[in-house]
Amino acid sequence: MNLVIQSVGFGLVTASVLALASVGLTLQFGVTNYINFAYGTYLVLAAYFAMALSTRAHLPFLLAAVLACLAMGVVAVAIAKGVMQHFVSRQAPLFYLLIVTFGLSLVIENLVQAIWGPGFQTYNLSVGSPLNLGPFSLTPTQLIIIGLAVVAMVAIHLMLSRTSLGKAMRAMSDNKDLAQVSGIDTERITTWTWFITGCLAGLAGIALTVTTVSFNPTSADSFLFVIFAAVILGGIGRPYGAMAAAAILGIVTEVSAVVVSSTYKDDIAFVALVVVLLIRPQGLIATRGKA
Amino acid sequence: MDLILPYLATLAIFFFVYNILTWGLNIQFGYAGVLDFTFITFVACGAYFSGVFALGPGQKSTGFEWILGLNWPFPIALVMGALAAGLLGIVIGLIAINRLRSDYMAIVTLATGTVIYGLVSNYTPLFDGFDGLAGLQTPFSQWLNINYNQFTYLWVGFCAVVMVICWFIAQRILNSPLGRTMRAIREDQEAAEAFGKDSVRVRLIAMSMGAVLAGVGGALLMGFIGAFNPAGWTSGETFVVWAALIVGGRGNNWGGVVGSFVVAVLVNEATRYIPPIPGNATLIPTVRNMLIGASLIAVLWLRPEGIIPEARRRFYQLPLLPGRRTPAEGVGGAGS
Repeated sequence: MNLVIQSVGFGLVTASVLALASVGLTLQFGVTNYINFAYGTYLVLAAYFAMALSTRAHLPFLLAAVLACLAMGVVAVAIAKGVMQHFVSRQAPLFYLLIVTFGLSLVIENLVQAIWGPGFQTYNLSVGSPLNLGPFSLTPTQLIIIGLAVVAMVAIHLMLSRTSLGKAMRAMSDNKDLAQVSGIDTERITTWTWFITGCLAGLAGIALTVTTVSFNPTSADSFLFVIFAAVILGGIGRPYGAMAAAAILGIVTEVSAVVVSSTYKDDIAFVALVVVLLIRPQGLIATRGKA
Repeated sequence: MDLILPYLATLAIFFFVYNILTWGLNIQFGYAGVLDFTFITFVACGAYFSGVFALGPGQKSTGFEWILGLNWPFPIALVMGALAAGLLGIVIGLIAINRLRSDYMAIVTLATGTVIYGLVSNYTPLFDGFDGLAGLQTPFSQWLNINYNQFTYLWVGFCAVVMVICWFIAQRILNSPLGRTMRAIREDQEAAEAFGKDSVRVRLIAMSMGAVLAGVGGALLMGFIGAFNPAGWTSGETFVVWAALIVGGRGNNWGGVVGSFVVAVLVNEATRYIPPIPGNATLIPTVRNMLIGASLIAVLWLRPEGIIPEARRRFYQLPLLPGRRTPAEGVGGAGS
């Protein structure tokens, strides 16, 4: 029983990483209306940026992480402008975009492998000894990740509800044509969305690799569809739904790792995905016309 | 000469097998528009099941364990492998194919593939986990007394025969009313449903037929190599078949032939024989994978219909409307 309560604490950490990643994916999905299959490689790419900056360029880890996130944002915008824009502006069928992002994931993953090699990498970080907080036992790093996710979620909430950028993103997510005729510069908003998505992917990737300690170019492959599960469970293009779904899935997968076996952790997320698709494909918070 | 001929024979085997695989994906995606991002899982299913039907029983004490182990003749094992892949196609199709948008199909197939990969790799009693199946005697060796090189030539012939059968199946489906229904659903699912076509059922048929061809291809690889393990069907392998189909041209089977020659033989298999660069052994496979991913994007960018485009099918035009495009003319192009 004690182990199960402990695993809820680890579940909070996983939920935090998952929330960062799935909110980033769902924001972009809502605005651009196609899913990015290369998203998992964005997480890995940012982790390698942070690793290169901190262990090879000898920057302090926090500075390296911030720079890596911003760099990932720029890379995401560059890919969107350089590759995706061509297909979007010609109104190519949806499957073109899916195959192109699918192909991009292969290119990026192998690019990472060509530059940094296929082996496992680590950050030069001391994890710190676990602190006992009530029933949970978490390391300071894990606490920082939870805190970071909470801050990021509050920031996303404020951005979506208070700023004109966030309101324009919500408007585009609801109805792109209507947003455009209302005078919203949809191209500018799309660019900003890709930047925010890239930064969130970067944060999530660095947080993920800090919690798993070592990582290689394929580290985010299986995590990608846990992100998909959270995005679909939350309802496509619904950031608040994705936050709730991330909390549920994060705790469920970690508890199941103790109750069943950690080998089949991802399978639990998959079962959740299938159940959601069969019972409530529109997700927790439905979006009309997007199911 | 002693080296070149067996090498060319090996390439021919891969060419024939990849033709079959590309036609299988063509049935799923080119005909019916099913986004199957885990095609290699069906290939693996065919390889594993043909293996366990043809191999002897596995024994836990020797470190080799797998289900079945029936010692059946290889041609029958091949059929069983194909059937198993077809069944898996129906199971995955039942989850992935519904009336939702096509993103879901792609997500569910990719996720299912990842889960099956994890299960097969970790659960050793099924197909011996990461070690995989091994020790399959060369097929037909119990009846013929031949050495390995002679077997390679024999296998070229066997693959060619199987390939011709698969070609007739794929062409038959393409030109049948069923194939027409598949293309109609690909072009406009709602319109096809309005004409009374059951899109879920037809797409399930396409999914399982494509999976059967994948299974045949997997079984042929199993028979040739004699071993199969999870390293042989990483998700990257799915890209090879996708790239072959997109580069060659989807919706027609000649496109599949061209694509499988360019991508699967020239880029994928022939480059395996380039000696590794000293100090960076993984660089050549890495660059090869990047080429394959980039070719997908480049073809969709420059020539989205592929090297051999799908023929536009013309239908009888009403004489009352000279020069006007009829809706029927739109069929045959690319849809969503």
